Amino acid sequence: MSGVSAGNVFFAVCAIVALVGALMTILAKNPIRCAVGLLSTILGIAGLFLRLNAQFLAAIQLIVYAGAVVVLFVFVIMLLGSDAGEAARGPVKAALSRAVAGVLAFVLAAVALVLIGSVSPAPTRMGPARPEHGSVEAVGSLLFSKGLVPFEIATALLIVAVIGAIAVARSVPGKKKVKAAESPTERMFHGPLHPRDAGRPLTRERLG
Amino acid sequence: MDALRAIFPHDDFALLLVIILVPLLGAFVNGVFGKRLGKEAVALMALSAIGVSFIASAAAFLLLKDAERTQEAARLIWRGWDWVTISGRQDLSQVPIQIAFSIDALSGAMALIVTGVGFLIHLYSVKYMEKDPGFHRFFSYLNLFIFSMLVLILGDSLPVLFVGWEGVGLCSYLLIGFWYDNDYNAFAGKKAFVANRIGDFGLLVAMALLVYYCGALDWTGIDAQSRSLLQAKQVWPIGNDVPWVTWLGQHYSSLSGVAEWVNRPRYASAATLVGLALFLGCAGKSAQIPLYVWLPDAMAGPTPVSALIHAATMVTAGVYLVCRMSGVFVLSPAAMFTVATIGGLTAVLAATIALVQNDIKRVLAYSTVSQLGYMFIGVGVGAFAAGFFHVMTHAFFKACLFLGSGSVIHAMHARIHDTDASQDMRNMGGLKRFMPVTFWTFVAAWAAIVAVPFTSGFFSKDEILFQSFTSFVKAPVEGGKLGEGANAIQLFQWPEWGGKFLYTLGVLAAVMTAFYMTRLVIGIFFGEFKGWTIVKRWKAPKHHHGHAHDEHEHGAPLEGPTPHESPWQMTVPLVVLGALSVVGGFLNPHALSMFGVHTHPLDNWLAPVFTEAKKFVEHVPEFEHLVVPLMLPGIGALVVGGGFAYWMYLMQSGEPAKKLAEQMPRLHALVYDKWRIDELYDETILGAVDSLAEGFAWADRWLVDGLLARFTSFVVAAVGTGLRYVQTGRVQAYAAMMIVGVGGMGWFLIAPHAHAQVMTDHASGSYSVTASPGLGYRYRWDADGDGTWDTESFSDKTNVELKLEPDKSQTVRLQVVNAFGRTAEKAFAFSRPKPDRSRGPATTMNVEQGADGQLRAMPQRPRPAASGTFQLPPGGNMDPEATRRLFQRLQQQRGQAPGQPGQPAPPGGGQPAPAPAPQPAPGGQAP
Amino acid sequence: MNLLGEVIEHYVILASVIFTLGAIGFLVRRNVLIQLMSIELMLNAVNLLLVAYNRVHGADMNGQMFAFFIIAVAAAEAAVGLAIVLAFYRLRQTVLSDEADSLKH
Repeated sequence: MSGVSAGNVFFAVCAIVALVGALMTILAKNPIRCAVGLLSTILGIAGLFLRLNAQFLAAIQLIVYAGAVVVLFVFVIMLLGSDAGEAARGPVKAALSRAVAGVLAFVLAAVALVLIGSVSPAPTRMGPARPEHGSVEAVGSLLFSKGLVPFEIATALLIVAVIGAIAVARSVPGKKKVKAAESPTERMFHGPLHPRDAGRPLTRERLG
Repeated sequence: MDALRAIFPHDDFALLLVIILVPLLGAFVNGVFGKRLGKEAVALMALSAIGVSFIASAAAFLLLKDAERTQEAARLIWRGWDWVTISGRQDLSQVPIQIAFSIDALSGAMALIVTGVGFLIHLYSVKYMEKDPGFHRFFSYLNLFIFSMLVLILGDSLPVLFVGWEGVGLCSYLLIGFWYDNDYNAFAGKKAFVANRIGDFGLLVAMALLVYYCGALDWTGIDAQSRSLLQAKQVWPIGNDVPWVTWLGQHYSSLSGVAEWVNRPRYASAATLVGLALFLGCAGKSAQIPLYVWLPDAMAGPTPVSALIHAATMVTAGVYLVCRMSGVFVLSPAAMFTVATIGGLTAVLAATIALVQNDIKRVLAYSTVSQLGYMFIGVGVGAFAAGFFHVMTHAFFKACLFLGSGSVIHAMHARIHDTDASQDMRNMGGLKRFMPVTFWTFVAAWAAIVAVPFTSGFFSKDEILFQSFTSFVKAPVEGGKLGEGANAIQLFQWPEWGGKFLYTLGVLAAVMTAFYMTRLVIGIFFGEFKGWTIVKRWKAPKHHHGHAHDEHEHGAPLEGPTPHESPWQMTVPLVVLGALSVVGGFLNPHALSMFGVHTHPLDNWLAPVFTEAKKFVEHVPEFEHLVVPLMLPGIGALVVGGGFAYWMYLMQSGEPAKKLAEQMPRLHALVYDKWRIDELYDETILGAVDSLAEGFAWADRWLVDGLLARFTSFVVAAVGTGLRYVQTGRVQAYAAMMIVGVGGMGWFLIAPHAHAQVMTDHASGSYSVTASPGLGYRYRWDADGDGTWDTESFSDKTNVELKLEPDKSQTVRLQVVNAFGRTAEKAFAFSRPKPDRSRGPATTMNVEQGADGQLRAMPQRPRPAASGTFQLPPGGNMDPEATRRLFQRLQQQRGQAPGQPGQPAPPGGGQPAPAPAPQPAPGGQAP
Repeated sequence: MNLLGEVIEHYVILASVIFTLGAIGFLVRRNVLIQLMSIELMLNAVNLLLVAYNRVHGADMNGQMFAFFIIAVAAAEAAVGLAIVLAFYRLRQTVLSDEADSLKH
């Protein structure tokens, strides 16, 4: 092994962590395990960001993704309790098409890899980076000059998302029993979307 | 008289408008305001309308007589305006259809009959329809009928006559179905109208043929141009042959003879076609075979209607038409013989049916059909005046008979309200002593119809019988051949046995007429009254509701009052008509020639109308002296028939008849059911129409509805149902579909596409190929067509130009590589064709200016040989005379202008087209 | 081996694999929460690719800025998505996406 530097090892470790996390996310039965796998992927990717001289982004990744998004996921899983799992509730609908879809995606990936392999007999090396590459100043100055408008819009987006999340996740006031309305128009505006949903109660007593 | 002549000059004879429009006014007033006016006012309006019309007809008659005496005019005309103009013979002439009325000898006499008898019947109806709630409607319809009939009679051209023709058909429908609550009455009205309509089709065809051949539709025009009808026309096959018959003949040798026979062209003269078509119209209107079936059912209408329309006036419109178009009819002996034969057969057929009928109106209806047959015998053999005379006398005695029977029915209605029972002969009898006026007038009319000597019916019937034996129609063209050469047709020759045949039919019908009429008189007026038990001072019971009490408690005999005589409004017309039936015959007493008396005022009066027609009517000279011998069978018929009936019904009180009926029940039933002709029509013709309708209904249900509507919607719905399953509602499924789509798009983007735009210019030989751009594309060419790439590496060169010599070819190849390093290639082949020397110089055309100033280009045609082979213009054969004259004229033209191309242009083309009129009179425009 | 992590292709391969795993997870798993997590995987893979290419063409920080925005939007989307999952759970007492088929034919 000539010239295996620390950078290479670091890359390998982070890549493996990310891959294993991804596999765990999509394969685990227990949703908590999936969340942990996601967390692992995020950590791995954050490490790779560091390898790529994107310090600022790595920090942001950890703070936002690992610190907020994954936590949010875990909160919801805890909220749902045992219902969060994929207890077999009837036969899996369209298992065949699911499988086909999965195979398709796999094939797509394989093709992509083949293409990548075919086009690069000579790999593109990354040269040395400037010292300010990926620094807070560099990203920040770009963010507040060229990316000012998207930045402000992203702010608005976040506010709207917060409000929206509250609005959607709010519990329905009162426990009204809703019957299926007569006309489709009524159902569209006041009632369940489909007559077969009419019988099911909208709220469960347990939840507030 | 002078004052009248001043007001109404001969060519602007507005008195006709008075005659025609006053009844229309009466109809309008009675129809719109009748309910409010009340019965007396309505009656007054109607009577005065027709009274004025009668007086005006009389005045017109006198004026006409005056004009004839002074030789000024044979026809008094009032012209209105042009209604419509149609193109005439072979697009050459314009035929204006004018609203115009005219009166000549024939229509003058007819108008007098119509208005006179009409007036009497109006008077009669005032009392007869007194209790009817539709009183005003009745008189409105009656006046409307008179109006239509007068339009028919006084019209100056066939279209105006047709307006009146349809109008009387309409009024007949309205009046037959007058009591429309009863389904049967409505059905009878409909039947009359439909049967009439079938005849009207014939009349329309005749009009079209007349426009085509004569180029005119008014009386003067037709008479002037009637010779043009003497052309042969191929009537079979339509086109060249019947295709499937030809095919059969070709493929099956045994059928070739039959196919030959079927496809052989058959010709008829145009005059025959017109005559037969016109006669179809007459058969519809005047109830001849095969369209007589409506007349017996028409008795569902009130009795005055039967008297006016179906005895005196409307049904004689057919005879009037034949007389009016006599100039056309005599040009075709075939048509005339058909008319006479059908008339004779109808006379006999109807008489047989009348022998066993019990409804008195039915007997009279069949009698009418039979007498109409007589009239057609008369006009069919060429004795137009005799036929018309019978129209007149028939109007008198038949109207009298109908009104008399109405009087009887009126008396029966006092107790029996059911229509069928009150008209049944078996419920009558012995009414002689209760209704004397009715009885004697009925007997007078009976005497006329059975032709008791010196009554009107005697003179007219005898005249017809004599003429049927001696008179015939000869061929209008010499030698009896029409056309020339191979296309000549032999015109119909009046058969030797024709006269005897028609005479026999007439005598047979006379015997039967005498029999059933005597039976009728005896049945109504003689014997014991069988209607009800007569109780003096009978009072209607309190709970008398009308119809339901006719069949009283079964077993209890019907009691009723003494049958009463009718009031004066009903008996005066009877007396007048009865008197006319007896003495009216002296207007044309041909039979008196055996006493050496040779006055016939009606013949003289009508002579100017039939002068043209008489040219083709001939009498067998040997039979001229057979007046008396031919009269004897007529009188003998009266004696035999009347005597037989007298014996059977009065002396034996109907016993032999009953026994005969019992011995031959099926024959009796068949004759009683009018030979089941109606049922035959139902099965065959109506059945065929029904099947056709069912076929169309099937097509509508299964093809239009099923295939076009439901099937297409089904297909759409099925496709939708199939496609619906794509919508699973699950996001994952949609995502999977998206991935497939993205994959496809990605493949399309990643794979390189070698496309190029190619520009070819064969004329100059320069071609160019321009490659289409793409993401990261680079190109490599093989422009010289040697199979190797021009350059090793790929470049950005996108355009290649090429120049080729004629008749050389080359292939250019293009190779494309994209950013992923994948390549694709395409080849473009070019070849330049040899120069084209195949086209000759452009053809030359002749440009001519036609007579109407329009330019027409006609390719040059080879000129006809100078010896003058002449090409017939299209439009069928013309007679040789006209052809020769046309050719001479054209030769003259050629001689005068030697430089001009001597082509015979088709008519309507460049040169002023000579419309060949064999007569020197100009082409058939209305004067 | 001595080029591991210094060649752009390795990052491309890694990002593609993670992306594909995320896609497969989204298509195959029924649990809505895990589907959302798979979406996060996909977004992360794209982020990696962006940053890697930004390292190669490092003239300006466009790639990293883009990745920054992706993170922000992903966070917002995760929040709203989980709120929807909660509402869905209240409606159907389940988190299986198979039950969310009201728009079925």
